[in-house]
Amino acid sequence: MKSAVVRVLVIGAFVAAPFVQTNGYWLHVLCVALIGVILALGLQLLVGMAGLLSLGQAAFYGIGAYVSAVLTLRFGTPFLIAFVLAGIAAALSSLLLVPIVRLQGSSLAVATLGFNIIIYLVLLNEDWATGGSFGLMNVPAPRIFGYVFASDRSMYFLCLLVAVIVYLAMERLVNSRFGRALKAISQDEDAARACGISIDLYKSKCFLVAAFAAGIAGSLYAHQARYLNPNDFTFNKSIEILIMVVVGGLGSLPGAVIGALIVVVMPEYLRSSGELRLILFGVLVVALVGFRRGGIAGLAPVLGQRLAQTRWSRWPKISARGGPQ
Amino acid sequence: MSVEQFIQGVIGGLAIGCIYSLIALGITMIIRATEILHFAQGEIMMIGAMAGLSALWMVDLPFVIVLVIGMIGGGVAAVIIELSVYRTLRSLRVPLINIVVSTLGVSLILQNVARVIWGSEPLRYANLFAKRGVEIGGFAISPQLIWIVVLGFSMMALLQLFFRYTRLGIAMQAAAQDPEAAQLMGVNVKRTTTYTFLVAGVMAGAAGVLLGSLFFASFNMGFLIGIKAFVAATIGGLGSLTGAMLGGIAFGLIETFSGVLISTAYKDAVGMVLLIAILLLAPAGIFAGRRI
Repeated sequence: MKSAVVRVLVIGAFVAAPFVQTNGYWLHVLCVALIGVILALGLQLLVGMAGLLSLGQAAFYGIGAYVSAVLTLRFGTPFLIAFVLAGIAAALSSLLLVPIVRLQGSSLAVATLGFNIIIYLVLLNEDWATGGSFGLMNVPAPRIFGYVFASDRSMYFLCLLVAVIVYLAMERLVNSRFGRALKAISQDEDAARACGISIDLYKSKCFLVAAFAAGIAGSLYAHQARYLNPNDFTFNKSIEILIMVVVGGLGSLPGAVIGALIVVVMPEYLRSSGELRLILFGVLVVALVGFRRGGIAGLAPVLGQRLAQTRWSRWPKISARGGPQ
Repeated sequence: MSVEQFIQGVIGGLAIGCIYSLIALGITMIIRATEILHFAQGEIMMIGAMAGLSALWMVDLPFVIVLVIGMIGGGVAAVIIELSVYRTLRSLRVPLINIVVSTLGVSLILQNVARVIWGSEPLRYANLFAKRGVEIGGFAISPQLIWIVVLGFSMMALLQLFFRYTRLGIAMQAAAQDPEAAQLMGVNVKRTTTYTFLVAGVMAGAAGVLLGSLFFASFNMGFLIGIKAFVAATIGGLGSLTGAMLGGIAFGLIETFSGVLISTAYKDAVGMVLLIAILLLAPAGIFAGRRI
């Protein structure tokens, strides 16, 4: 039940955050961080669980954001419906990539990157729908059953709620038959296939789920920032999401959360160091990926193990838990 | 499209294609030797461009010397990064994807270090070439483009000779194909990996000077070009040097002609659609099969 305590504490910290930090700018940063959490959780499924390197998550993020914004702006669609449709639209567009999931490692990465560039150019050039490089302005604040999420704090709680739901959903998914099949695939594709796991189908489903998560994250972003520009959805954003996942710890859901917080909050925090800001951030990224067993999340079990070993060192060492590494 | 436009398109496409090829060659070499997707290759190119430019500011130098200085700059930068970052990460035995993400961190560091040193304004190379077009078969062609094509091709030819006839080149190929067997045959694989980064950096540095002299040099010139070179290398089939070379040139020509024929707005998209189509039809790239 230790994990339940940790959970309550973490949720409590997130709930308390906007009361401790009431500055509007920081609330905005925290919202972006929570949206980052949703994006990172989606990519964690792809990269961390299924071993599929995708560099195109920002494309689905952008599709979700624009679908949601255009639906509410031009057609007056209620937020909740636009939110769900944003996820569905992103997931459907990921079907375009399904033929590509057969590709191995680096080819897949470059193909998804190419997809990202195509979507960016569509967002930039089809200005009759997207506003082009001027962007889409005055995206309405979310409105659910008459309640308008106009204040920074209410928006923060909406993002938090969605992030928590996505986290729990991912957790269920990872611990289900689906998750076990993914683990099998990432360990040994041939053996998994021999066990009757349809590899392409599972990989495609991963793309679908990750794209859905990115789509709803995009919808939140559209209604939180209230202004969309194609430049928010370049492959730089995709790379940022990948950094979140790897810095936080490959294959770990809490890692995705920590990674997203670091990648969004750190550069803001370092703002006082002026020109050195991004250099420091780059050094941080290089240093953090050096942790074995992946990122920050890899640290906690290592520390825990050390403690365990010192306390019960007279017991024979029990062989390591079953796991991918 | 008139004949003149066509010929200018071919020369322009070949010139930019040579630049992509030089970077794509480095990317492919690094993938073959270490499986790392080296996203900082564009930044190494930028360092080469800046090194050449800085030398040019100090003394008035002929273009070939500037090119050599750019190559040295790119090579030194690549080796420093390999020794300080990638080798450390490899010895820590982190998962490959962590190293790939570290190359993104390195690219961020290089960009911003360059911004601190050289500023954020685009910098122009002095005019190194005659302004007047060269007449070839009645068409005026910029001498700069011809120089870029000639220098680019001769560098790629030298690289091929290096890999085919020198001891080090053959050892590097052996280490890339089967590190264990190569190690058993007395190849120091750790060292050949560093040499791989050196040669890749030298190629990228040359590309930087060529590209800088064509347009301008700036701290962020590398990233997009690096990404495009990745696409070029993938079109050629990641893993084959000839493929990377041809992929780069093909990508340069496709980009140039789709800008003229289809639309400038979707110039970059044409290459990407083609990339995805090629990966679907021939997942190993169009020049697969020939492992040189």
